[in-house]
Amino acid sequence: MSGAGIALAIALAGLPEAAGAHHLGTYTPRDNEISANFKQLKFSMEARKFDVALRLFEDGAVRREMREQAARLPAGLEAATRAGLSASDAQEVERALMVFLAALARNLTLEAQQQVGAPGVGPEARMAAGRLFLEAVWRYYNLIDYAASRRAPKISVAVRLAFDDAEGLAKGPASPVAAAPASGTKAAVTPVPVDPVKLREPLQRIAQALGELIEVSSPRTRRES
Amino acid sequence: MSASSGPADLARTWRLPPPWALLAAILLIICAEVGGASMARFKLEIARWARSLMLARPDVHGLVGVRDVDERILDEALVKVDAGLRLFHLHAEGMGLVIIVTTTVAATLVASGRARTALIVLFTVGGAGYPLGYLLWSGLIPVVGLTRAKVIAEWLIWIPFGGTTIVALWWLAGAVALRLRRP
Repeated sequence: MSGAGIALAIALAGLPEAAGAHHLGTYTPRDNEISANFKQLKFSMEARKFDVALRLFEDGAVRREMREQAARLPAGLEAATRAGLSASDAQEVERALMVFLAALARNLTLEAQQQVGAPGVGPEARMAAGRLFLEAVWRYYNLIDYAASRRAPKISVAVRLAFDDAEGLAKGPASPVAAAPASGTKAAVTPVPVDPVKLREPLQRIAQALGELIEVSSPRTRRES
Repeated sequence: MSASSGPADLARTWRLPPPWALLAAILLIICAEVGGASMARFKLEIARWARSLMLARPDVHGLVGVRDVDERILDEALVKVDAGLRLFHLHAEGMGLVIIVTTTVAATLVASGRARTALIVLFTVGGAGYPLGYLLWSGLIPVVGLTRAKVIAEWLIWIPFGGTTIVALWWLAGAVALRLRRP
């Protein structure tokens, strides 16, 4: 084969990769209505604009969700938030919103526990669902992590540790399959499939820690302590 | 096939590609403009259509029946559907111009008649077909999911048509280089 022929063969061999390497855009998860409304409330309070925050609360997704999910949330959250905003009491509003988001995250965690162990669904689909649930739980918990770490540092650490464990399982432990130490390149890794049922244990710990956070932050418990 | 000549003074410098190549390029640019306008005009309708298709196929998209989880999945897919339409608009405009420029260069600088014809065909087919991959990708996302839609678009359109254009570009570059080396 001539030099030109060899060059053409090499070029054609690499063609699918070159022609298929398209930039299709990246996706950055956006706030949902609740997290967006929570941030509006938080920033309004930080600016000491409690009247604005109250209006945003009355018309916003947080209050709507508090009403829709009333049966699955601690009682009195809406009233406590409104009272805190009316009295310009940032601490009380922060507490009520923290309990609200912790309860939403806990409910998601409980649902995740059920779905990762759901019979009749393939392990890959259950693990994929587990990862999506963890993402959704973290979206809410991340908003209150700072407040939780100030009010209940041990619980905050417990949530984070359990979350790390769950994420590690959901991603799957990486096993080196093509180490090439001589060339100095990094070893290629492939995720090892994990039984989705194993996710239930860290999920259980997350739910328990969030339940404790709700408990210690409720007005009754605070009065007794 | 013989490339048509331009006016007398231009004939010494540039030769026009065949009319069908120019027509393909212009049609592609028109499609890009119509696509862009439709995308803006029917944005809501397209989003609703895509969303309803996805909701009808929960297994394909991994929907779990919990709003906080599913909204994130649907949102990502809708963003990608929109991105596919935008990329179609962008690439169809761009590839239309690429066809005009590359076929003009080939018609002018490639001496061999067969090579010239082959290059013009490759540039026109590859350039006109490639942007359709984005349209296909966008349309398939709600039906078969993000990953499968990409694989199908890649193997049906992007790789064959994109590959055709890349081969033609290297060929043209080689032909032009050879011509420049001639005394």
